[in-house]
Amino acid sequence: MTFLLLIVKNLTRNKIRSVVTALSTMVLVFVCTLVWSILAFLDSVTAEQSQNLKAIVTERWQLPSQMPFAYASSLSEGAASDPDDVQPEDAMTWQFYGGSLDPKNRTRDNSLFAFGLEPDKLLTMMDELDELPPERKAELAAVVDKMRGNRQALIVGRNRLAAINKQVGERIKLFGLNYREIDLEFEIVGVFPEGRYDNAAAFDREYLLAALDAWPATHNGRPHPLAEKTLNLVWLRVPDMQAFTQVDQQIEESPLYASPSVKCETASSGRASFLEAYRDLIWGMRWLLGPAILVTLALVIANAISISVRERRTEFAVLKVLGFRSHHVLLLVLGEALLLGVTAGLLSAGLTYYFVNNVAGGIPFPIAFFQAFYIPLDALGWGAGIGVLTALLGSALPAWSARSVSVSDVFAKVA
Amino acid sequence: MMDRQLLNGSWLPPGSLLPGQGSLLLAQDSSQQSGWLERLPEAMQGVAASIWLPLVGALLLMLLLAWVCRIPISYNVRNLTVRWVTTLMTAVAFTAVIGLQTVMLAFVNGMYRLTDSSGKPDNVMILSEGATDEAVSNLGFSDIGDIENQAGVLRENGRPLCSRETYLVVNQMIEQQQDRRTKRRFLQLRGVDDPVVSALVHRLELYDGGSWFSPAGVRELPGSNQAAVEAVLGEGVASELGRGRSPEQLAAARNRQRLDVGDLFELGDRRWVVVGVVQSSGSTFDSEIWAKRSVVGPMFGKEAFTSLVLRTPDAGTAQQVEDYFNNQYEKAAVQAMVETEYFANLASTNQQFLYAVLFVAVVMAFGGVCGVMNTMFAAISQRIKDIGVLRILGYRRLQILVSFLLESLVIALLGGLLGCALGWLADGWTATSVVSSGRGGGGKFVVLEMDVTADTIAVGLLLALGMGLIGGLLPALSAMRLRPLDALR
Repeated sequence: MTFLLLIVKNLTRNKIRSVVTALSTMVLVFVCTLVWSILAFLDSVTAEQSQNLKAIVTERWQLPSQMPFAYASSLSEGAASDPDDVQPEDAMTWQFYGGSLDPKNRTRDNSLFAFGLEPDKLLTMMDELDELPPERKAELAAVVDKMRGNRQALIVGRNRLAAINKQVGERIKLFGLNYREIDLEFEIVGVFPEGRYDNAAAFDREYLLAALDAWPATHNGRPHPLAEKTLNLVWLRVPDMQAFTQVDQQIEESPLYASPSVKCETASSGRASFLEAYRDLIWGMRWLLGPAILVTLALVIANAISISVRERRTEFAVLKVLGFRSHHVLLLVLGEALLLGVTAGLLSAGLTYYFVNNVAGGIPFPIAFFQAFYIPLDALGWGAGIGVLTALLGSALPAWSARSVSVSDVFAKVA
Repeated sequence: MMDRQLLNGSWLPPGSLLPGQGSLLLAQDSSQQSGWLERLPEAMQGVAASIWLPLVGALLLMLLLAWVCRIPISYNVRNLTVRWVTTLMTAVAFTAVIGLQTVMLAFVNGMYRLTDSSGKPDNVMILSEGATDEAVSNLGFSDIGDIENQAGVLRENGRPLCSRETYLVVNQMIEQQQDRRTKRRFLQLRGVDDPVVSALVHRLELYDGGSWFSPAGVRELPGSNQAAVEAVLGEGVASELGRGRSPEQLAAARNRQRLDVGDLFELGDRRWVVVGVVQSSGSTFDSEIWAKRSVVGPMFGKEAFTSLVLRTPDAGTAQQVEDYFNNQYEKAAVQAMVETEYFANLASTNQQFLYAVLFVAVVMAFGGVCGVMNTMFAAISQRIKDIGVLRILGYRRLQILVSFLLESLVIALLGGLLGCALGWLADGWTATSVVSSGRGGGGKFVVLEMDVTADTIAVGLLLALGMGLIGGLLPALSAMRLRPLDALR
């Protein structure tokens, strides 16, 4: 305890130096926390799960995937045709509909992209929404209830809602972007829980299908150009990797999906394919940016501690005369650096966690289909860890030098 | 050969079109290349436009202050060298910050250069109405002939210089060498009808030894009765496809850096043979595979044209053609845009990355500022008596201030120079990325070349000096305020 008090006292002796070093630690831990939060999230969504995993079925060769809606029913059953075949536990179809509020002047702010799906699947199949805590899930269920009774109901992410300057309860008309001349009127019935879907929207797929069915009546009996390409994605939930392998095989071998042919992959593998395009960026964040921050921080701490050690050589000599052993001096210097690093790191990570998640609404860095990133609770550990690591790296040499202070040398110079 | 009447007439700027052997190629337009600096918000453009001016001004100011204030420079230099460990550590912190910033800006610069180089101001792109990107555009077959025969389109031998294209993003299944698992990557495939005309429109040239694909678009592989799809690769995608080769394939490869003429690859359950590699144009075309449209369209289930690119005599005519198709043309529901506009719209990701880089650079700079502040405060506390002696010898407060400030600026400049030098190593590195309009429905997977420009170096040095100034100012002010007798006590 006395030792700890001595460490604290030493840190408060040169307040400017301690504050400046702590500030630099906080700032650099802040950047590191942001970078690692993005990387940790990307790692987690691309890591293969062994249990309760999701699979995605898409068109085999082309992007964007466009399959006939006739595939939907059998794909949702995992192309199971024999009694021994494995059926997915749950399934969801996605149809992308993009529309603009202004048919003449289409801008990013007046456009909206929405998933056409079965409303119930919002609760059971959508990533993150299927794992909401009970309170938030109940709120979402209330919105889904409204969607069940109203085919024109639309649920929108809060950022998108703000961008188009609308509110829940308002009606909007979207002029089709990808579905040419299919304009849909919606009633906004709710908002997605804050998070991944802040810029998305979703509606009942039946509404789009009905519009496609009605098209030929007004176009000399000709179907809409995208009528046979309206199914974009099928999500399947399977209990484990073995079931996935079986379902994958069923789909790949089924004669039902010949033109266009389809492929089945785990959701994590699908996401990894999209992120492959960013691999150098991610590599740079992981292996250049992160280490450069750590090196800079270690240097700043090393600088501060080595200056401190140089200034206190006489003091260390006195401590040794008073009975402190070399390793006590070493621990004293290391302790000062560690206390400063851990405190500043933890504080920075905590503040970053609070402000990014609760005030800023995430890190706005849209890559692939991820719009914003949130700071995980683990960041508190990272903050403390970075503080410990950089403090140790930065103070190791100065602490060794302090340990090696020779009493006779110092007092010979003083004398 | 070319229609001489047209070439030599007022339709075309002299020298912009050169007749070649078989394929006609054009001088690359480098005038439109620009860096990230011009893309900063207006408030910052004053600095951006003349980034060298503040840098040279700062350096001159340093020299001027040293000269006018008659600073004891040898004393400062000696202090820096005596405490070389502290000086070095502070400078290295600067090196890390500036080096990283240089690399990050080189990446963004590469992205901007890519989107800027990809469009030609005299080309007009025709997409179906409402399409946010060529990947989701569908043009009717019957509309094509009428569109390309409209006034304003440049002609060659009576044929319109119009590139009929089907643009596809396709999955390539790749077997991982490490775990034998199958992964996939996205490849951009452009099916064109007449590659010579398309190359003329886009001003692309093949490396020696290559050729454009044949009218059939397929050829029989020597020594087997297997047919392979003929492909012309952009240099970027040729490198990308060349990465996944096994050691045995690499040992037998004629080009270890990338796929080359005669090499084979698998795509869409078919074998493809490389018949040519396009010379790097610094554009998104470097990341594309070109093949015969009538072969790849049915193969991947996209038989409609996605886009038409019309070549016009000059930028003015291109603008007129764009206006005509957007406002007066009624035979088909299409939208037109000058090609440079289309690619400028793809710069949304670039801007997003630019802001992220600037944010990180500024925050990291704070770390550097703290480092130099500690160093200078320590330097002053160790030299309090020196300051007292200097004051008694007649040095004024301003001279003391400038003396310490210059010391921190010199440390910053040394670290900054080293950081820029390290960052410069990234010049020419290739990296994968995505450019997109951020409006959904598209984007391009690209292989870009990182570009460390003089402006990037200037910004790095300026930031280093800024960090040195901010970090050194407070300690220098505290040194300036010391009274001679107090300092000597």
